[in-house]
Amino acid sequence: MQTSRLAVATASALALVLTLTACGRDDEDGGAAAAPADSISEGPATGTVEVWAMGTEGELLPELAAQFEADNPDVTVNVTPVPWESSTEKINTAIATGEVPDVMQVGTTLMSGFVELGGLAPTPEEIDSAAFFPGAWDTTVVDGTSYGVPWYVETRVLYYRSDLAEEAGVEAPETWEDLTAFATGMQEAGAEHGIALQTTGNDTNLAYFPFFWQAGGEIMNEDGTEFTLGSDAQVAALEYYSSFMLDGLAPSPLVEDEKVQDFIEGELGAFVSGPWERANLLTTAGEEFADSFDVTALPAGEQPGSFIGGSNLAVLQDAENPEAAWKFVQFAVDPAVQVEWFGISNDLPSVEAAWDDPALADNEAVAVFGTALETARSTPAIPTWGEVGHELDLILEQVIAGTTTPEEGAAQMQDAAAAIGTGLS
Amino acid sequence: MATPVIDGSRRTPVRREPGARRRRRGWAAWGFALPFTVLFAVFLVLPVVSSLYMSFTDMRGADLRDPLAVEFVGFDNFATVLADDKFRQAIGNTIYFVGVAMPLTLALALFLAALLNSGLVWFRSVFRVGFYAPFVTSIVAVAVVWRFLLQPEFGAVNSMLGLVGIDGPNWLTDTTWAMPALIVMATWRNVGYYVIILLAGLQGIPRDLYEAASLDGAGAVKKFRSITVPLLRPTLLFCAVIMGIGYLQFFEEPFVMTQGGPLGATTSVAYEIFNQFGFGKYGVAAAMSYLLFIAIVVLSLVQFRLLRSKA
Repeated sequence: MQTSRLAVATASALALVLTLTACGRDDEDGGAAAAPADSISEGPATGTVEVWAMGTEGELLPELAAQFEADNPDVTVNVTPVPWESSTEKINTAIATGEVPDVMQVGTTLMSGFVELGGLAPTPEEIDSAAFFPGAWDTTVVDGTSYGVPWYVETRVLYYRSDLAEEAGVEAPETWEDLTAFATGMQEAGAEHGIALQTTGNDTNLAYFPFFWQAGGEIMNEDGTEFTLGSDAQVAALEYYSSFMLDGLAPSPLVEDEKVQDFIEGELGAFVSGPWERANLLTTAGEEFADSFDVTALPAGEQPGSFIGGSNLAVLQDAENPEAAWKFVQFAVDPAVQVEWFGISNDLPSVEAAWDDPALADNEAVAVFGTALETARSTPAIPTWGEVGHELDLILEQVIAGTTTPEEGAAQMQDAAAAIGTGLS
Repeated sequence: MATPVIDGSRRTPVRREPGARRRRRGWAAWGFALPFTVLFAVFLVLPVVSSLYMSFTDMRGADLRDPLAVEFVGFDNFATVLADDKFRQAIGNTIYFVGVAMPLTLALALFLAALLNSGLVWFRSVFRVGFYAPFVTSIVAVAVVWRFLLQPEFGAVNSMLGLVGIDGPNWLTDTTWAMPALIVMATWRNVGYYVIILLAGLQGIPRDLYEAASLDGAGAVKKFRSITVPLLRPTLLFCAVIMGIGYLQFFEEPFVMTQGGPLGATTSVAYEIFNQFGFGKYGVAAAMSYLLFIAIVVLSLVQFRLLRSKA
């Protein structure tokens, strides 16, 4: 009896497995196949638009949505704030079950994952790609098709102690040689370390890639089918980036928690960070600290280069009200509305025309970001990038620690990325 | 198997119930068991079977919408995983952690429980709460405090080491010291729970055994080895098994403190599984999970063998 029951159980499990095996992958690529894009019609939006937004944006978006509702009396916008930490799982679940909002905020580096899942609708032609920073638009494009619209952007610049720089007699750096001399000068003027660069942990590659781009490197070939990480530019950039740590100009390894405090105390001369850091410094050190530091674009090697981040707005494939959803997106990227949103949230506009507005153009600290954004770029929008990035973080850590040479590091990066592949068929 | 009902008083077998009636009773029984059976099947059996199946397929995050449209790949995932250097490093790290942290926690817990049981009678409840508090504190809060303690320049640990002339290492970013730092942290976090369990066990040992031993001239060490340890064996077994299960799934400490670094020195098996799920490699991650499951089963079996009561 015992054995016969076991036999039945085994047989049914086997049958289950066989049935499941029978429905294997289709040959054509399933989710990522581009459906024809909707088009945006004229006239006011109607109905209900469900919007998911993350973090601060989720808290502040209702202010902007109220304006959209005022312009379109028959529409209701419901904003649901989603914490960034749980956003990926929540969105994946929503897409898998089809219970989705109409519009969603998507971090620029997360696009490909949701597209691969078949969750996002292609961008209609009415949205003009030329209106945006090219680096920002690129983050919406997966495998040749755009699946969203850049909403706000951010990039990383160099924060430095202007008082120390003056004491040392060094100017804001413009080239690679300048930056090395700058860091050395800061140290001579009394800072324990001239500069701080990320040395370990998640997304070290995002801190490093600007230097790779400055050296003329490209992560992938022209048509985005193969990695080109083993180039001479990689060797040069690895050599340059790690030189700060190996020559004692930057802490190695960097303790992130101590960075801001050291900077305020004058122990650290400079570090790389995004637009949010200014407010952070002023809250920690007091308003008068504003006179002691300044920002400048990252130095140029062969060419300028920086990382572009931020978020896109995407309309969901299964949205119940795509018509009004796209109208809301169109509204959010109107130059005037983008300036307004900058006033509400301090998020930098993704639309280049918005930067002509005095609110941004006349603010020197903000204008530095505008210049950097023109040449800023993002990492490839491929489904496997999370894994590739993780591998690169580990190799970078070794090069920075001096246990791997830049030549070996470049070769390992290429091998690791090639072994993982692009994830696109 | 249906057993014929025996009526003892008349010593003659009662006629079997008619088939239809028996079947009806069977259905009624299933009816009563149904609520539990359905819940059990849907929320326990199904996930376990499907995750096991997942470990034999090439399922990725992108297959979520159509989870059945995946290829069966046999033991490929297991082969890939076992040949992966990073996973092997994670296995090594996990063995290092369990190998050091488990005896350390158990010994410390036993020591503290013995102290509470004999010496520190007055403030027992204060100490009990003190030891237990870390166990119920959120890991996020714990991480913030420990990062302060372990900071290389102005952290309390290195400041104190500085007082006695030792130049403390950069705990969390040094390949040699990151794991020991996490071991100490995990021990501190978990020891309170086992102190409580062991204290309960100790209090269950009859006092007169110790008195009798004293009359026979046994010293403290002898009493501990010949009375405390043998009688505490079931409690120790419980602690060891629960601890083995918990420690083999070592994840929270590296997640909040080191992100698995430096140079992968604190990446545990559970952390690597988390990474692979994050990359959307569900098949590979499921295979890793089942390898970890097997390790847990094996460790528990070994502990049962070593610590079972020799009654």
